[in-house]
Amino acid sequence: MAALNNNLALPFTGIFISLAVFLLGQWLFKITKGFFLFQPLFFGMVAGIILLVIWGKIGGMPTSYVYRHYYKPGGDIIFWFLNPATIAFAIPLFKRNAVLKKYWFDILISLVISSVIALFIILGASKLVGLSHQSAAAMLPQAATTAIAMPVADAIGGNAAITAMACILKAVILYALADAFIKLFRLQGSKIGLGLGLGTGGTVGSAKALEFGELEGAMASVCVVIIGIVVDLVVIPFAQIFM
Amino acid sequence: MTQKNKKEKKAPILVQMGIFAGVLWVSSVISGILPSSFIVPTPVIGLVLLYLLLTLRIIKVEWVEEFGMFMISLIGFLFVPSGIQIANDLGILREEGLQIVFVIIVATIALLVVTAYVTRFVIAIHRRIDKKREQIAQGGDKDGSFE
Repeated sequence: MAALNNNLALPFTGIFISLAVFLLGQWLFKITKGFFLFQPLFFGMVAGIILLVIWGKIGGMPTSYVYRHYYKPGGDIIFWFLNPATIAFAIPLFKRNAVLKKYWFDILISLVISSVIALFIILGASKLVGLSHQSAAAMLPQAATTAIAMPVADAIGGNAAITAMACILKAVILYALADAFIKLFRLQGSKIGLGLGLGTGGTVGSAKALEFGELEGAMASVCVVIIGIVVDLVVIPFAQIFM
Repeated sequence: MTQKNKKEKKAPILVQMGIFAGVLWVSSVISGILPSSFIVPTPVIGLVLLYLLLTLRIIKVEWVEEFGMFMISLIGFLFVPSGIQIANDLGILREEGLQIVFVIIVATIALLVVTAYVTRFVIAIHRRIDKKREQIAQGGDKDGSFE
């Protein structure tokens, strides 16, 4: 029994669970023709957490112990690969160099100004509902891709796990409601603006942007990268001044 | 350039991984050297570094493309452990989960809408400045090429 327990704490468990829940999500997403709550990543997150909770209940252990002892060793290995995956976005960015050369000034200025304004709105909303400091700080870097947002959240005293959840939920919301938001707020006035806006929603947002056109898609995929750098440069001083 | 030619230039996958590992290692060293008041996570530095290496033509895109695009295709899956990480701290969701979800919804809309409108505004101003400059320079009335 002790040997079994030891082996369950090896990375195999976390890697298998992660793949199983994600693949299940992919399958459900496919057979329901894209039901938004079955977005593989979101489903995988929820199913994984439920699994760990049930495991804890059966074994008489707190969920946090099950997570740290059984899931984390494997989860950390997968998580590490976000590093090469994130820097790989330099390749699509490089391929967009033509459009980037033409618009880099507008893109950079727009993203810096918009992130500062959005940060005030996010901080205001956090204060309004009375979020604790670690949750409020976790909300600030969520425009960036997860691998960048999490260390930034850490740096400003936020709970990085909450930030990761925010990045995932944001994708679910955009996937389900982007069309409605675009209509409601009349965002189709500028292709570049719409593309950059959708790019703040990460890869899901970029996929959406591509549905509107080539320029929108290019702008969104450029934004996914640039916003990560902008978040790093803007959020840390913002948090130091206003929190 | 024929398809065959292009294929021949592709670096072996292990070499591609080596380039990624090298860029990440250098980035993590740089991230460690930077003062603690100026925190830049390793992936941010790596992203900029790899982009510069490509743009300055120090490395060819064929040397990193296959592995890089493969990693990008996995990215949804790679996020799973970061999502499950909240299992370590479910208490926080019990306490303020609803508030957190509310702020995430606000943030999603704010980022989308503010970015779209600010960009429209910035481009309109930029175009106006360009036009004025052009008019001053030659008195011509050429149409801006934006959008």
